Amino acid sequence: MNRLKRTIGLLAGAASTMMILAACGNGGGQGADDDVLRIAMGSPGEAQIKVWNDIAKQYETAHPGIKVQLNFQDDDLYQTVGLPSLLNGRKSPDIYFEWAGDRLATRVKDGFAADVGPYVSGGPLKGLIDDSAYNQMKVGGKTVMVPFASDVTNVLWYNTKVMSGAGVAPPKTWDELLAACDTLRSKGITPIAAGNKDLWPVGNWAAHLVSRVAGESSYSQVLSGKAGFDSPGWSDALGHVAQLRDHKCLNDTASALNDTEGDQMFLQGKAAMHPIGSWFVSTAIEEAPELEIDYVNLPTVPGAGDQNSVIGVATGYVINAKSKKTKESADFLALVNSGANVTAFTRAGTVPQAKPAPGGPAVDPRTTRLNDLLADAETVVLPPDTGYELKRAEAFYRAVSLVLGGKKKPQEALADAQRKAGS
Amino acid sequence: MKPNHRATPYLFAGPALLVFGFAVLGPMIATGAFSFTEWSGFGPMKFVGFDNYTRAFRDTVFVDSLAHVAVYIAATIVLEVLVGLALAGVLAARRGESTWFRVALFAPVMLPMVVVAVLWSFVYNGDFGLVNAVLGAVGLESLQHVWLGESGTALASVCVVSGWVYAGFYMAIFYAALRQVPGEVIEAARLDGAGELRIFWQVKVPVIRRAVEACLLLCVTGGFQSFDLFYVLTDGGPYNATEIPTTYLTRVAFTDGEVGYGSAMAVLMTALVVLAGLGFMRLRARGERTAA
Repeated sequence: MNRLKRTIGLLAGAASTMMILAACGNGGGQGADDDVLRIAMGSPGEAQIKVWNDIAKQYETAHPGIKVQLNFQDDDLYQTVGLPSLLNGRKSPDIYFEWAGDRLATRVKDGFAADVGPYVSGGPLKGLIDDSAYNQMKVGGKTVMVPFASDVTNVLWYNTKVMSGAGVAPPKTWDELLAACDTLRSKGITPIAAGNKDLWPVGNWAAHLVSRVAGESSYSQVLSGKAGFDSPGWSDALGHVAQLRDHKCLNDTASALNDTEGDQMFLQGKAAMHPIGSWFVSTAIEEAPELEIDYVNLPTVPGAGDQNSVIGVATGYVINAKSKKTKESADFLALVNSGANVTAFTRAGTVPQAKPAPGGPAVDPRTTRLNDLLADAETVVLPPDTGYELKRAEAFYRAVSLVLGGKKKPQEALADAQRKAGS
Repeated sequence: MKPNHRATPYLFAGPALLVFGFAVLGPMIATGAFSFTEWSGFGPMKFVGFDNYTRAFRDTVFVDSLAHVAVYIAATIVLEVLVGLALAGVLAARRGESTWFRVALFAPVMLPMVVVAVLWSFVYNGDFGLVNAVLGAVGLESLQHVWLGESGTALASVCVVSGWVYAGFYMAIFYAALRQVPGEVIEAARLDGAGELRIFWQVKVPVIRRAVEACLLLCVTGGFQSFDLFYVLTDGGPYNATEIPTTYLTRVAFTDGEVGYGSAMAVLMTALVVLAGLGFMRLRARGERTAA
C-alpha cells in the first residue's frame, strides 16, 4: 500500500513538474528598458551588412548614449523559428524585418507590430517613401510596417545567346514554353535549370501558375485555409506542372540541387532558362557579369486568373509594439531611408523604395524593369511561404514536387496536401 | 565507511545532478509535457491529450521514416561494423605494417559530418560528380544516376557515406581489441590446422565478443540519432525517400511550428531507442546464459 502511495505521489509530482515546465515555456516577449536599440533581420549579405553597420554608427553619433545592436540571422532560421524566438525573448528587438501578407497580420495579432502611422504622416518618416508603397503595409486600417524593398519572387530568366543559338524565342505562352523545351532538348540543351531540393523554388513558380489557372481568389482562399486543395482549377494547374515533366523541361538533377546550385547551373550556361526571383540580378552581376540574361514573366496559360499578374512580395521593417523606444526606432528607420543611405543600399545591390540622393548610382535596367513590373501590375500574387501560413505553403510545395517527380498524379498530390495541411 | 555528515554524499553528487537535471531531465520532462499540447512554440498552449500520438501513428511520412531508419541501421551494421571488423582483422594480421592504412581509414571520423556531407554531395552530383564521371569513363553510362535526387538511390547513397565515415571508427575499436587476443590461443588454433579466415571468425571474433556487442549497440542507438548527414545531403528528400524521424520532427517542430506534434514524435522515438536497448541487453543476457 505504501509503495502504491509513493508511486502515485511520484507520478503526481512528475505531472506537476511537467505542467509547470510547460507553463514556463509560454513566456511573452518584452522590450528592454535600456539604451540599446535592437534590430533583427535575416542576413542580407556582406555588402548590405556594411551599409547597416555604417547606419548604426551614424545613428550612435547623432544620438549619444544609445547603442545600436544589429542581429543578422541565417535567412531560413529567421523566417521560421528565429524571429518568433527573438520576439518572445526578454530583450526582444525594437525593429525587425518582415514580409507583407499573412506573416505581418500574425505579428499584429500577436501584439508585436506598432502603429507607425503617426510617424509617417507627421513624424520623422514623413515624405521619405511614396505613399503608394504603404498600401501593403496596412493591417486592420493601420500602417504597421515601413516599406523597404520589393521582390518579384518569380520570373523566367533566359540566356539570350543559348536561346537565340537554338532558334528559340522567349516563351510568351505555355504552349510556346513546352515547344521551347522540346526544341532545346532535341538540340541537347537542358531547357530549364532549377534547384528544387528545398521545394520552394519550383513551388513558387507553380504557385504563380496556380493563381493564373484557378484564379487569384481561389489561390488565396486555399492557401489561407478557407478552401480545400481540391478546389476547382487546382488539379488542372498541377496538370500543367506534369506537362513540364512530360516535356522534360527541367534538369534531371532538380530534386537534388538547392536554389544556389540551380542558379550556378544556369550561370554556367548549362541551361537555357531559370525560374527564380528578382534578386537573381545581383547574383548574376556578381558571379557572371559577362553572361547575357533577360527575363519574361510567367507565360500566359488558359485559366481564370489575370494573365498579366506578377508574383511578388513587399518587405519592410516593423517597430515592435512592445518596444520602449518607438520614437528612437522611427528615427532610426528615417535614417535608413535617407537619400545617402538609399544610395548606399543601391550600390550594395538592393533598391529600396525610398528616394535616393540626387546623382546616385545607376540601377541595373533589368532591376528597374522588374520594379516597374511589380509597381504597374494590376494583380500581385503573394508567394505561399511569405504570404500565407507556412504549414499550408509546405504542403503545397510538396504536392508540386510529387507531381514534378512523377510520383503522384495531380489529384493524389493535392489530396496529400489537404491531409498534411488539415491535420 | 560512513560519511561524517548525512548530507556529504548529496553535496558531492549535487553539482552533477543539477547539470543532469537542467540539461537532460528537465528537457525530457518538458518534451513529454509538450507532446500533450497543440503549441507553436510561442503563445498559448492547448491541451490535446493523446491526439498527437494517434496522429503520429496515422502519419505515413512518420511511419515511413521509422522504416527508413531501420533500413539505415541495418545497412550501417554491415557497412560500418562488419566492414570495420574485416578491416581490423586484415590490419591486425599485418601488425606493424599498417600504421598508414589505419590513419587513412580513421581520417574520415575526424572530419565534421557537415564537411563530409558537403564533400559527398559533390561526389554524388549528377552533372559533374565523381561517381557518374567514373561510371561514364568505364562505359557504364546506363548505371549513372542522380544519386541523391532519385528516391530509389538516395537512402543507399547516404548509407554508403555513413559507412565511409564510421567503418574507420569501428576498425579502431576492433583493432585495439584484436591486439588483446592472447597469442597462445591463435598459435594453438594454427597448430590444430585452422586457416587464417577460420582463426579470425572462430577464435578471434568470439574472444572480442564484448567489443562487437558494444559496437553493435553504438551503431543501433547512433543510427536512431542520425541527423546531420541526412539534413545536409537530402533533408529528407526526394519525396520523403530519406526522411528519418529526426529530420521529420525537426521540420514539423521548427518549420511548421508544431512543437506539440514534434515532441510526441520525439517521445515515440525515445521509447523505440529504449526498447531497442532493452531488447539488445536481453538478447545478450540470453546469449551469456546459453554460453554458460
